[in-house]
Amino acid sequence: MAVSTEATRTRGASRNGIAPRPAAVNYPFTAIVGQEEMKLCLLLNVIDPRIGGVMIMGHRGTGKSTAVRALADVLPMITRVKGDPFNRTPEELRIENEELKGGSDLSQFSILNSQFKRERIPVPVVDLPLGATEDRVCGTIDIEAALTQGVKRFEPGLLARANRGFLYIDEVNLLDDHLVDVLLDVAASGWNVVEREGISVRHPARFVLVGSGNPEEGELRPQLLDRFGLHARITTITDIAQRMEIVRRRRAFDADPHAFVAAWAPQQKALRRRIVAAQKHLAEVEMPDDVLMFAAELCMRLGIDGHRGELTLARASCALAAFEGRRRVTRDDVKRIAVPALRHRLRRDPLETTDAGERIERALMELEASKT
Amino acid sequence: MSLTFTDIVGLETAKQALLVLAVNPALAGVAIAATVGSGKSTLARAFAALLPEDAPFVELPVNVTEDRLLGGLDLEATLATGVRVIERGLLARAHGGVLYVDGLNLLDNSIMAHLMEAMANGAVRVEREGLSAVHPARFVLVGTYDPSDGEVPRGLLDRIGLIVPFAPQTDAHSRAEVVRRNQPRRRGEAERVSYSGCMCQQEQRHMLGRARSLQRAIADASSARNGVRALPRDIFDPIRECASPSTSPHLCGEVMDDETQMLRAMIADARTRLPQVHIQDEQVQALIQTALSLGVEGNRADVFAVQAALAKAALDGRESVDDDDLRLAVRLVLLPRATRLPDADERRETKGEETRGQVDRGNLEDRDESNATVEPQNERLEELLLSAAEAELPKDVLNLPFGMQRRGRSGSRGAALNNRRGRFVRAVEGDPRGNRIALLQTLMAAAPWQKLRMKNEELRIKKADKGTISFSILNSQFSIRPEDVRVKRFRDKAGMLYIFAVDASGSMAINRMREAKGAAIRLLQDAYVHRDQVALIAFRGQRAQVLLQPSQSVERAKRELDVLPTGGGTPLASALFTAWQLAQQARTRGIAQATLVLLTDGRANVSLGSRESGVNNAPVDKAELQQEIQRLAALLRADGIRAIVIDTQANYLSRGEAPKLAEWLGGRYVYLPNARAEQIAKMLA
Repeated sequence: MAVSTEATRTRGASRNGIAPRPAAVNYPFTAIVGQEEMKLCLLLNVIDPRIGGVMIMGHRGTGKSTAVRALADVLPMITRVKGDPFNRTPEELRIENEELKGGSDLSQFSILNSQFKRERIPVPVVDLPLGATEDRVCGTIDIEAALTQGVKRFEPGLLARANRGFLYIDEVNLLDDHLVDVLLDVAASGWNVVEREGISVRHPARFVLVGSGNPEEGELRPQLLDRFGLHARITTITDIAQRMEIVRRRRAFDADPHAFVAAWAPQQKALRRRIVAAQKHLAEVEMPDDVLMFAAELCMRLGIDGHRGELTLARASCALAAFEGRRRVTRDDVKRIAVPALRHRLRRDPLETTDAGERIERALMELEASKT
Repeated sequence: MSLTFTDIVGLETAKQALLVLAVNPALAGVAIAATVGSGKSTLARAFAALLPEDAPFVELPVNVTEDRLLGGLDLEATLATGVRVIERGLLARAHGGVLYVDGLNLLDNSIMAHLMEAMANGAVRVEREGLSAVHPARFVLVGTYDPSDGEVPRGLLDRIGLIVPFAPQTDAHSRAEVVRRNQPRRRGEAERVSYSGCMCQQEQRHMLGRARSLQRAIADASSARNGVRALPRDIFDPIRECASPSTSPHLCGEVMDDETQMLRAMIADARTRLPQVHIQDEQVQALIQTALSLGVEGNRADVFAVQAALAKAALDGRESVDDDDLRLAVRLVLLPRATRLPDADERRETKGEETRGQVDRGNLEDRDESNATVEPQNERLEELLLSAAEAELPKDVLNLPFGMQRRGRSGSRGAALNNRRGRFVRAVEGDPRGNRIALLQTLMAAAPWQKLRMKNEELRIKKADKGTISFSILNSQFSIRPEDVRVKRFRDKAGMLYIFAVDASGSMAINRMREAKGAAIRLLQDAYVHRDQVALIAFRGQRAQVLLQPSQSVERAKRELDVLPTGGGTPLASALFTAWQLAQQARTRGIAQATLVLLTDGRANVSLGSRESGVNNAPVDKAELQQEIQRLAALLRADGIRAIVIDTQANYLSRGEAPKLAEWLGGRYVYLPNARAEQIAKMLA
């Protein structure tokens, strides 16, 4: 077979920090039937990225990746310095410039003029393909510049593109271990450090990690699972009416994606507006002491180590209240979010056969009973 | 001589599936299970001939490397031009055509993952070696596999619309026909070969239908060419061109070519009709109901079933879906995905085979309500589809591709990358110490930087004392730095397989079934930590059953153990035989070492033969039974399968069967009531 080659110049795309997306149109988020837990978990992370990401586990063919890819279209806009490959805000860039004083190899990207031009871009959603190599994830030297001009120039990778956005890993359980470790390190610190060809670069990489996988195709390392704020589980929808609706919408979408997307535009717009409003009000949402206490007692009752459980519960329930336009978190918010916030934090007991979700529900009921 | 599509005898279902796929690429692909020599690869190649000249047909070798699959930097061209040149991988080259895989079940996990990703996105994203590119890769997958080599992972199978389950070719008539058609034929005899009595009736009927379609197609062709109608996907668009009289070679030359021509026209005709084909809501509902009854997982199959029915209707020249089309959808889409037999075993569903959350339980209630309001029309359809399904279902749900695998085989962990053994899969950056250097990749990594390094070196020299120039690097040809070094990573399939065989017979109910389960779970957990594979066999009643094919899903194994009922006879011999089979299968996949962990009281009372004879309560000859077990044990031992017998018999009842069994197997013996699970785990390590 003849080897066909084609010259591809990809510099422009990666420099501008715009993810090259497949030309295909995404299925609208609001048109996804059912799977409420997953959708809510994703939205809460949009409202408050500090929740710490979502891990979605579930059967194949239940719309996990559809949902994450659809999320991109309902995300709000952010402001960044025009053309900044790391999506930094003018303020961030100013501070960094002062710190670095041009002494870093990152100075190639520093715009020393304090009059930054701004631009609005949608919150980036970066899809990490399986088989991505570390140099593309973390960034490396621009091979073209090295070849043609013999100069060293840092070429940002996927982590740069994902800064202030979402990083999605489908089939997270199939990802190479060493890459998972790199991602977790960066996700925890918020910084990506690259040392290569004698250049040293450190750039912000704060992103919401979204993973999905099928529990049947290999288990997840517990350490990995713990790093995700929420853990959503989805199963096959068994309601016939819902399934018919899925088939109907899917066919309509496949037949004419653009018309379908246009038909759902009002719902998409409404959701985006709701998200923006929730983000704005999040800081004003109050969590009364008794509700906080309730969350803490729940974690104690379930024997959850550390404080990440309570913290996630608190953040997620605040985001939930904000999403629903309320300024006060109720016990009910905690109850609604308890299962995805805690199910991956229960102690593992090999002889325990009850589903983690059921154990949390039971604990909630007991706790409720003791309160009244 | 290459055979054409219509030449191939047998594999009728596969042919039908391929035609349906050609009409509706939304079905994503066809997976065909067939043994060696059944002509499956010939069929796939013949299928290529049905496609237009410019539709690529790309064959994916099962041992393909990631580079070849995804594409990568074309170093030569890049160095020559100074511009990054990307060589497209096989997935991208199949864009607009067919990707053919012979041996779907032999694909490496990472290769499979890439394949699935490309199928999901219709594109390949390359993010490697300083490259970032998206290549379109919309293709249909034609995959074949030999079921005796193991199963196709369900994740992949699920994305393939049409599945042709294994059907042994036993019909002597068609066997003879295979031979006859492969004989070199003389000119002039061709017509007789294809149209005379050696063609089975069904095929003749097809031919007549095709001829009629051809006439229609030719009549329609001009309209199709002028007012080009939009199709949902344009993969096979060129096929339509072939249907037009101007481009198709006139009906002359070999008869076989005519047939190919006819099929092309038929497909083209059907494709133009497809957007107009209508399916009623009741029919969709009936398909979904059938999917539910068969325990089909996920919601993807519903869409595939509908698409298959539409395509079949289009192929038959109809504009609305009829019962036949629905039956085909059930046969090729839903049935192969069944995880249980219809009606039977409601117990499994309610017992929480799947971990269902609150939401789903709510859905189940809803479903009951909607069931109550089903119209009579629907009941008729469902009845029809279910009875069609039942007629085709094998007696044992475990013979279905999905049922058999239960919870899938291993995930990625089953074949962890390492630095020493197995197949070389990729080169990664790393320390040369303790690793094997990938020389070619190292040189490739260093090559682009030569100019840069040279420049740096000149600079350094300029700055430095003149005295040091004598050993200038400018004299050296090639500079390799530590960061260039690439080391080899191998995929090691030579891990361990632990086969847990758990006695669930009646005698076990009193003999510490609970402890046995606990011990098994504990051992499973350990196996997971070591990233070994586990398989689970339960034996009770007439025969042993594989509850879990070699896999890494401890969760799944736990769940299976949890719902394992006890009672019935002890088919120990069957358990040993099944374990041996699993070990053999694992060996073909490169897992050299298998260990059998047998939890039993050793009281065998059902022989291997009793299953076939169907005699349930025939008195069993004890001595014969012992002999049989002894022989099987020797077989396992001879094949190097390690064994551990964990005796679950209460002390006061023991008659020493289990120790004897351990002796026969050449394995170790553990008395459960004395041993803590942890201790047993230690013995395994």
